Amino acid sequence: MKKLIIIFSAISLLVFIRPVLGLGANIATTNSSVSTAQVDVAEEESIIDKAVDGIKTFYSYTGFANSSSGNVIMIIIGIVFIYLGIKYDYEPLLLIPIGTGVILGNIPFVAGNQTGIYETGSVLNYLYFGVVKGVYPPLIFLGIGAMTDFSSLIANPKLMLLGGAAQIGVFATFLGALYLGFNLPEAGAIGIIGGADGPTAIFLSSKLANGINILEDGTTVKNLIGPIAIAAYSYMALVPVIQPPLMRLLISKKDRKIKMKPPRAVTQKEKMIFPVVALILTLFISPSALPLLGMLFFGNLLKESGRTERLADTARTKLIDIVTILLGVTVGASTQADIFITKDSMLIFGLGAISFVIATCGGLLFAKFMNLFLKGDNKINPLIGAAGVSAVPDSARVVHHEGLKSDPSNFLLMHAMAPNVSGVIGSAIAAGIILSFLG
Amino acid sequence: MTQILLYTDPISEGYVILITGLLIVFSALVILALFFNYGLPIMLYVYKIITKGKDKKISEIKVKTDSGFTGEISAVIGASVHMYLSEQHDIESGILTIKQVKKTYSPWSSKIYGIQNRL
Repeated sequence: MKKLIIIFSAISLLVFIRPVLGLGANIATTNSSVSTAQVDVAEEESIIDKAVDGIKTFYSYTGFANSSSGNVIMIIIGIVFIYLGIKYDYEPLLLIPIGTGVILGNIPFVAGNQTGIYETGSVLNYLYFGVVKGVYPPLIFLGIGAMTDFSSLIANPKLMLLGGAAQIGVFATFLGALYLGFNLPEAGAIGIIGGADGPTAIFLSSKLANGINILEDGTTVKNLIGPIAIAAYSYMALVPVIQPPLMRLLISKKDRKIKMKPPRAVTQKEKMIFPVVALILTLFISPSALPLLGMLFFGNLLKESGRTERLADTARTKLIDIVTILLGVTVGASTQADIFITKDSMLIFGLGAISFVIATCGGLLFAKFMNLFLKGDNKINPLIGAAGVSAVPDSARVVHHEGLKSDPSNFLLMHAMAPNVSGVIGSAIAAGIILSFLG
Repeated sequence: MTQILLYTDPISEGYVILITGLLIVFSALVILALFFNYGLPIMLYVYKIITKGKDKKISEIKVKTDSGFTGEISAVIGASVHMYLSEQHDIESGILTIKQVKKTYSPWSSKIYGIQNRL
C-alpha cells in the first residue's frame, strides 16, 4: 500500500512538473504567455489548469490517443503469432520473435521522436538495416550450412531433382503476381515466397522490392519486405497444415506405403568434397546467388572439414541465434500498420498460399513422374516430393509423419531430408536467376 | 542485366523468366546430381590410385610383423584407453568458496555466555 502511494505521488509529481519544465511541447508553450499575464489574478486556478494541460499533453503522447484500428488489428495478429508458437509449437523460434516484433512495431507513437522502425535514427531502424541491405540472410545461411547434413543427398543424388521441381511454385507465383498488376521486380520478390525459405525471401525482396529502386519508367518500387517476409515465415510455420491434405489428395494409398531402401553410407571424403564442388558448380551457373549459396556451403565445409569444429559450432548455435533474434524482431516490427495494411499485402498473402500449394503439388507430381522411370527397389515414395519446398526441416518432418500414418514402420525422414536441402539450394539458385534478370 | 529483356510487355517477360528460370534451376540441379552420381566416384577412384599404398586395409597388414604383439599388450592398451576415456579419477572443481551456513542456535557460539560469565 505504501509503495502504491509513493508510485502514485511520483507519477502525479511528474505530471505536474511537465508543463513547468516546458516538456509539454506545443500546448505548454502556447499557454505560457497567457499564464504569465494571469499570474497574480488567479494563481491557484492556473496551477490546476497547468496540471490539466500537462495531463492532456501526456495523454496526447500515449498510445491510447494515437492508436488506430490498424494498430489494434496488427497487435492482435502479433498475439496470435505468439499464441500459435507457444501453444501449437509451429516454428516457435520464428513466430515468437516475429509476434513480439509485430506488437513492438504497432505501438502507436507520435512521429518525429525517433521511435518507429521507419524513422531514421531510431534504434529499430539501425537493426532493420540488416534486413534492408540483406545482411542477415547470408548469416542465417551460414548457420544452416553448419547444421545441415548433406549425406542423404550425396547418397541419392537423383532426389536433387525434387528440390528443383518444387521451385515451379516460385515461377508460377511470379507469373500470378504479374497478372495481378505488380511490376516485374515486385513480382519477382513475391514469387520467391514459393521457395518457402525465409532468408532467401528477405534477401530477394531487399534487393528488388525495397522502396528505393527506381524503375525504367521513373516510378519507385514499393517496399514489400515486410509483407513478403511475414507471408513466407507464416506459411513456413503453417506447412504442417497446408501439406498433408495435398499429399492425401495426390498420392494414392498404395504409393504412400512404398518403402525406400536405406541410403548407403557416405564417406567423410565425399562429405568434404560436396560443399566445395557444389559451391563452384552452382555459383558458376547462378552467380547472383553468391551471398546465399556461398555462405551455405562455407558453413557446411566448416562442419565437414573436421578441423574447424569451433567455428561450425558458433555458426550453428550462437551466431544463428543472434541473427534470428534480430531478424525476427525487426521483420515483425516492419509491419507498422500504416505501411503494412494495404491491398498489396493482402494480395501477397493470397499469392503466398497459392505458391505453397503449387510448390507442394509440383514436388509430389514430379516424384510420381520419376517413379515411372524407376524400377523395383529404386522406386521412391512420392510423399518425399513435398519436402522439395525448402521449409527446412518442417516439411521433411511432415512427410515423415504422413508416411508413418499410412505405414507405421515406414521411416521417411532421412529420405525426405535430401529433397528438403536440395530445395534450399534450388530456391537460392532461383533467387539468383530472378535477381540477375530483374536486379 | 535488365538489358537482356527487350520485351515491353511484362507478362511476356514473365513467361521468358518462367521458362528460362525453371530450365536453369533444373539444369543446375541435374548437373549437381550427375556429378555426384558419376563424377565423384571417378574422382575418389583417381584419388585412391594417386595415394596408392599409403593406407592399407586391415586384411593387407601381415600377421608376421606383429608376432610380438600379444593379447596381453592389447588388453593393457584397451584398459588404459578405457580408463582414460571414462576418467576413473575424481576431478574436483578448483573453485573454493566459503559459504555461509545457516545454523540453528548453539550455546557454543552464543553471545550470552562470555568468558567472564557476566549476565
